[in-house]
Amino acid sequence: MTPPWRLAGTLIPAMAFLACVRPEGWEPCVEVVPNITYECMERNLYKIPSSIPSSAKNLDLSFNPLMFLASHSFSRFPELQVLDLSRCEIQTIEDDAYWGLNYLSTLILTGNPIQNLAPGAFSELFRLQKLVAVEINLSSLEDFPIGHLRTLKELNVAHNFIHSFKLPEYFSNLTNLEYLDLSNNKIQNIHCDDLYVLHDKSNLSLDLSLNPIAFIQPGAFNKVKLGGLTLRSNFNSTHVMKQCIQGLAGLEVQQLVLGEFKNERCVEEFDKSALEGLCNLTIAEFRLAFLDDFPEDTNGFFKCLVNVSAVSLANLYLNSLEGLPRDIKWQSLKLVKSKVNQFPTLALPSLKRYIFTTNRGATSFAEFELKNLEFLDLSRNGMSFKSCCSQSVFGTTSLKYLDLSFNDVITMSVNFIGLELLEHLDFQHSTLKQASQFSAFLSLSKLLYLDMSYTHTQVAFHGIFSGLVSLQVLKMAGNSFKDNSLSAVFTDLTNLTFLDLSKCQLEHVSPGVFDTLLRLQFLNMSHNNFVLLDVLSFNPLQALQILDCSFNKIESSEGQELQYFPSHLTTLNLTQNPFDCSCKYQSFLQWIKDQRQLLVEAKQLECAMPPDMRGMLVLSFRNATCQINKIVIIVTVVSVLVVSVIAFLVYKFYFHLMLLAGCKKYGRGENTYDAFVIYSSQDEDWVRNELVKNLEEGVPPFRLCLHYRDFIPGVAIAANIIQEGFHKSRKVIVVVSRHFIQSRWCVFEYEIAQTWQFLSSHAGIIFIVLQKLEKSLLRQQVELYRLLSRNTYLEWEDNILGQHIFWRRLRKALMDGKPRSPEGTADAENNQQETTALT
Amino acid sequence: MTRFVITLLVWTLISPGNGSWGGGTSWPTHTACRKEGLEVLYQSCDPLQDFGFSVDQCAKHLKPNLNIRVGIILREDIRELYLDIVLISKGASVFNYSYPICEVDLPKFSFCGRKKGEQLYYAGPMNNPGFEIYEGKYQVLLELYNEKRTTLACANATVICS
Repeated sequence: MTPPWRLAGTLIPAMAFLACVRPEGWEPCVEVVPNITYECMERNLYKIPSSIPSSAKNLDLSFNPLMFLASHSFSRFPELQVLDLSRCEIQTIEDDAYWGLNYLSTLILTGNPIQNLAPGAFSELFRLQKLVAVEINLSSLEDFPIGHLRTLKELNVAHNFIHSFKLPEYFSNLTNLEYLDLSNNKIQNIHCDDLYVLHDKSNLSLDLSLNPIAFIQPGAFNKVKLGGLTLRSNFNSTHVMKQCIQGLAGLEVQQLVLGEFKNERCVEEFDKSALEGLCNLTIAEFRLAFLDDFPEDTNGFFKCLVNVSAVSLANLYLNSLEGLPRDIKWQSLKLVKSKVNQFPTLALPSLKRYIFTTNRGATSFAEFELKNLEFLDLSRNGMSFKSCCSQSVFGTTSLKYLDLSFNDVITMSVNFIGLELLEHLDFQHSTLKQASQFSAFLSLSKLLYLDMSYTHTQVAFHGIFSGLVSLQVLKMAGNSFKDNSLSAVFTDLTNLTFLDLSKCQLEHVSPGVFDTLLRLQFLNMSHNNFVLLDVLSFNPLQALQILDCSFNKIESSEGQELQYFPSHLTTLNLTQNPFDCSCKYQSFLQWIKDQRQLLVEAKQLECAMPPDMRGMLVLSFRNATCQINKIVIIVTVVSVLVVSVIAFLVYKFYFHLMLLAGCKKYGRGENTYDAFVIYSSQDEDWVRNELVKNLEEGVPPFRLCLHYRDFIPGVAIAANIIQEGFHKSRKVIVVVSRHFIQSRWCVFEYEIAQTWQFLSSHAGIIFIVLQKLEKSLLRQQVELYRLLSRNTYLEWEDNILGQHIFWRRLRKALMDGKPRSPEGTADAENNQQETTALT
Repeated sequence: MTRFVITLLVWTLISPGNGSWGGGTSWPTHTACRKEGLEVLYQSCDPLQDFGFSVDQCAKHLKPNLNIRVGIILREDIRELYLDIVLISKGASVFNYSYPICEVDLPKFSFCGRKKGEQLYYAGPMNNPGFEIYEGKYQVLLELYNEKRTTLACANATVICS
């Protein structure tokens, strides 16, 4: 047996070793797309992790101290398309380092202090399109071994130490090169033969920004065609700038970008003569940015830019655009963040596109006439528009795009007369006045996009969107609706696919609002005050795919309506609603659980009510809790029912039970009859049809002694009365009626009964009063009168309930004193008491 | 002996690995400026990196266009770059500001468009208005993020004015 300390001695080093092994050892990378994309950024890797499958296409190894790329470093990943080696402290790249990467299209080497780059470092790489070699200590393009990369489209060697702009011979091989970024290098001089290899090329874009260029030899760019040339923050004075621009003579360029950066300003006192050299260039698009001290008088400034088709001026101290040359052929003008002090009323008949944004100097809009204008962006100026909008305001009938967003007050006074071609209209974050007073958009049958978000519009007029039959996108966020109720304002918008109604303080949706929106795919109702998820209102939206109802006050929904929910829905957002998780909304909560794949952040939905379930997750709601309650209710109802049925049965079959329970051995004892009936022959109908029928045929069956049936013929009536009637009966039933009092035999019988009762102390007398008796009549029988006024008697009633009670009382009275066994004899005294105790 | 073994076992089991993504590491607190009753301290809240920042002037009456210095190694490309500032006083957010630093079209600063892995060093004015800082302790949250909404730098600054 091993001693415990020896066991510990072996275990401890093992555990210590395991604890110190870094977790990266076996799983260092993030699998973004399985078998395709792996992200291993900053994992302190010294070599490429072995766990990455060879099928990987995108591999990010940035910020790992790889130090050294040996040959065939990546041969395990023949499928690789994007390889990021940013800041991997790589100093040496050996020959054939990327051998086998026949599909690699992007290679990123940013931030590596490369000292030894073998001539065959980039061998193979037959499909490389983008090479980012920013900040890699590169001092010369001549030594950069990329001459064979014929597929290369983009080469970025910015932020290096390149002094010479001479493009090496191999650039003539790079026939696909479209973009060369040489910005932030040390290029000072550009000579005539530097661009010799580019003479056949026409589409290369060249960025030379942030190079301290001091001299461009005239003719260096002669007959050179470029896709783009960017020269920002290159010159340290206007003089140098002027000379260098003159050096560009003969260049044909699609886009020329001049100017400076905000944080790299060198040119002081910018002089309009600086751009004189541009007259010798062919430019399609001219852009100028960030120049301080822009000349007050722009007259003449643009004289070399007359033939340019597009001009873009950003962040210039440009006070006005007065005095533009008359023969200007600009088709597009963009003026951004300039210091203009009033809105320029241009007269440029050629202009098709005019962008005037973020110019804080202009406070109010002034009408202009630009006959061919199709695209107008006047956003973010804080300007006010006194009358919007019609053909006369912009002087064009061709306008398709109009952006007036982020301005001050826009007064809607005209309904776009002459602007019927408009397709895009944006008013967001400007204050719209009178927009909801008439059908302002009635003539815009071609409009596809309308943004009225946050325009302080209160929709009160039903025809506000009339005429917008082609509209596809409507944004109404941050406005309000009359009575906070969405009414039928979308009737004409049959082509709408996108509707934003967020932050509109809406509380409910009127029926039929969405009936015509059969193509709607996206509906945003978030940040409103809805209390109920009104499923029926969404029912007509059969094309709806995304519905956002987040940030409302939705507690629940009508359970039975949920089947009407749009069937094509792919995303439903119900987050940030105070759900009520009471059992009465069980079907809604179950529906949420069933639809969890549709719901955004379904796992985070929380209950807000009832208080004991606050903070509980909706998905953790269990139907079982409600079933327990249901069972309790069902059991209670059933037991109440059973008890009442039993009570009813006991009541109904009381006499049967009495028989069953105690009177099994019931017999009449020495008596033949249960009761002797004293009645007037006038009442015989009642006795035969009611009394005999009920008592002799009912349960328990009583046997009555009736004179017409049981008196023995041939014997004197008085003898029969005594022999058959009183002798053989337990009780005497006296049917008191008017006829009874008038009949002498009846009175006789009654008197005998009284005497008999007195003598034998035996029989109880039960009085049945058949009819209400007059007192005077009753007084004739003093004794009877006294008894009736002192004793309880049964009274025959005409209604069914009264009769029912009558029979039950009578049966009970007759049952009293029934001997429970043949031996048992009734106590006459008891009987008397019980008869009277019926009170 | 047994006690020692148990202690060692527990230690080996619970002691965390010292990997770079071990979590829980917080960057040290740096001083951006300290002068005349004003003290600005900051701490990087980006789990990936710390960064350097300093303000040239340091006065209760804040001058407009303060000169600042920031140094950072970019963890993402910054074709677009935005700055969010949240000022918190006594636990409540008092001021929120979002500012576009780099936009695609004619970017404003020379560092715009720099690449992942590239160094960024900015020394220059900040486009701030001048105002008086009232006495008290303020928390300022600063976040720089790009067009993919990936955080490039994040700082949790404390301004103490006495």
